[in-house]
Amino acid sequence: MTQAEVITRLQAIFDDVFLEPPKLTPELTAADVPEWDSLIHITLLVAVERAFKVRFRVGEVEATTNVGEFADLIVRRTTEG
Amino acid sequence: MNLSRIKNLLLQGDANFWADLEALTAEATEFDELIFLSSLRKKAAARRLQRPGGAPSPLRLAILGGCSLYPLHEVLTHLLESTGLRCDLFLGDYDNYVAEIMEADALTAFRPEVIVLLPGPQRCKYSGGLADARETVEAAARAVAGDLLNLSATAHERTSAEVVLCNFVLPARHDLGEFRSRTFASDWTFRKLVNLELGLNAPAAVRICDLEFLANRAGTLAAEDARGWFESKQPFSPRLLIDAGREMSRLILGLRTPPKKVLVLDLDNTLWGGVVAEDGLEGIEIGDTSPRGEAFKAFQRAIVSLKQRGVLLAVCSKNDHARAIEPFERHPEMVLRASDFVSFKANWEPKSDNLRRMADELGLGLDSFVFVDDNPAEIEIVRQFAPAVTTLLLSADPADYVGQLQDCRLFEPRSITVEDVNRTQQYRAERERQAASSSAADMNSYLESLAMEGFVREFNRVDAPRLAQLINKSNQFNLTTRRRTEAEVYDLIGRQDHVCLSMRLADRFGDHGLISIVIGRVDGALLEVDTWLMSCRVLKRQVEETMLNELSRLARLKGCSSILGVYLATAKNEMVRDFYSRMGFRTRTATDDRGEYVLDLASFSMVPTKVTLRATT
Repeated sequence: MTQAEVITRLQAIFDDVFLEPPKLTPELTAADVPEWDSLIHITLLVAVERAFKVRFRVGEVEATTNVGEFADLIVRRTTEG
Repeated sequence: MNLSRIKNLLLQGDANFWADLEALTAEATEFDELIFLSSLRKKAAARRLQRPGGAPSPLRLAILGGCSLYPLHEVLTHLLESTGLRCDLFLGDYDNYVAEIMEADALTAFRPEVIVLLPGPQRCKYSGGLADARETVEAAARAVAGDLLNLSATAHERTSAEVVLCNFVLPARHDLGEFRSRTFASDWTFRKLVNLELGLNAPAAVRICDLEFLANRAGTLAAEDARGWFESKQPFSPRLLIDAGREMSRLILGLRTPPKKVLVLDLDNTLWGGVVAEDGLEGIEIGDTSPRGEAFKAFQRAIVSLKQRGVLLAVCSKNDHARAIEPFERHPEMVLRASDFVSFKANWEPKSDNLRRMADELGLGLDSFVFVDDNPAEIEIVRQFAPAVTTLLLSADPADYVGQLQDCRLFEPRSITVEDVNRTQQYRAERERQAASSSAADMNSYLESLAMEGFVREFNRVDAPRLAQLINKSNQFNLTTRRRTEAEVYDLIGRQDHVCLSMRLADRFGDHGLISIVIGRVDGALLEVDTWLMSCRVLKRQVEETMLNELSRLARLKGCSSILGVYLATAKNEMVRDFYSRMGFRTRTATDDRGEYVLDLASFSMVPTKVTLRATT
């Protein structure tokens, strides 16, 4: 899976979770989206782990700074486990 | 879980949002769903979407603990607020609960009504060696528990709040292997000891939130979250967070709602397998002769143990009273006996009416009633017409009944007293003092809501086996009880001198199958009803009226001007003795054994029903 493919699937999850879903780009950050608070963030992480059947390792989600890096992380976890 | 509807309700500012929110929250099983619903609730509040019915004064809730309280507090406040109980929240700092309680200025100023205390697992560890003497370790466990109980008692004394104290989840890992349970000093044994001390010594103002039990129930491996601990000092898996939040909210709401007092039970296929009025005393499944019989017997035992805890038992069954009471008096395998019940309603009135009457007789509110039935239609009529009653729909498999009852969470005692045990006697007396009074539910709107569809057809070869079966099985709603073989049924197909009808009924709960049969013989201008029978499952569903309408229509087509109905009494068909009179027939002769009734077709007009005819002859 490429970053772009992951972002397409992420968009569907964001569409479910956000009342007014942002258009995802690799550069987008949580700070750009007023609705993206800590509650939404937890919802997203649990939903993403379920949808992609991945489990992030300790600390690595926090280390990502934007949607692109988050998508890259998902790519890594789906290939490396 | 489909969340698009509730999102739209919020976007449109529709106040139905709140009812949806409560329902979805109650059924949510996934953590992200629950958190998402909480997020929607906050957005609704920010958009000033008002909850209908006005807000009662908020609950002043403090949550203190030895680990991160986020997102547990989010789960808990959402569960409470989704029911309409607004929360004012005091959230403790990470692992600061001892100071928060001992130097209680801020906490006291907040004036909490409930304090949830969640001690960190790091506080529940034996610091000595694995080989230490049993007495030494037990003393240490008592000290850990004693400290927590003292702290809880102090919190209660300073604030008057009720305290909900969490106990400790047992470790999930093999770690010490077999030695784990051979020493008091292992984490596993030590935590069990501490939990026992907490539960056995907690004062009345302290409720225990039993995390040990909740984690065991779901599996301790599924309850821990090592990553969450390292990332945010939050030790519980999403699964346990939901279970713990639901338990806490139940404990808190339980302080504010009176307990249930009466367990009202259906009979056929609830307390035994089969239909006693059809299958007879010998035919019902109860007791150790069959696996199904064992399951029903185990269910009766579970019910008896509720009675021993002070729950009142009652019966509400669509049945003939004499037939219904027989198993309790005469069946050797029955655990329950007639004297176990404070009220026994076996009749043909709507169950909602019976429940209301029961409540009046016992002098109890309907909101203290729990009604149990295997039939979704009966549950629905009670839900619609006696909405204060809590209902429990039994599973399709009687093996599940005991588990369902024990998991229903409606009869959990805070403590058991002698008075509880004597309660059955008191209420029996109360009921005997009271005269019965009745109130009729709006039967028409109930029937309408069932969306019934009737399929009336002339006898045909496909139906023949079921026709013969019903003809030979029906006892109660059977006017003449004339039995016929399958071959005799075949002979009736297509006969010009007969009108042979069967009816199937379906409603929004499902298909009842072929449930009624009428066989009429044409004799000149007279149509004589040879057979009229119906399954008792569909009593009071206007099946009788629907059949009469069709019978009269076809009788006219055959050139008949009147219908002759005959009633032949048997030991089991008392309930239809006055059937023809009720249907508007004129009595020609009537003795104890036999009655003849005539319907003049010239003056008969069709009876309006709520059954939509889908196929006719």
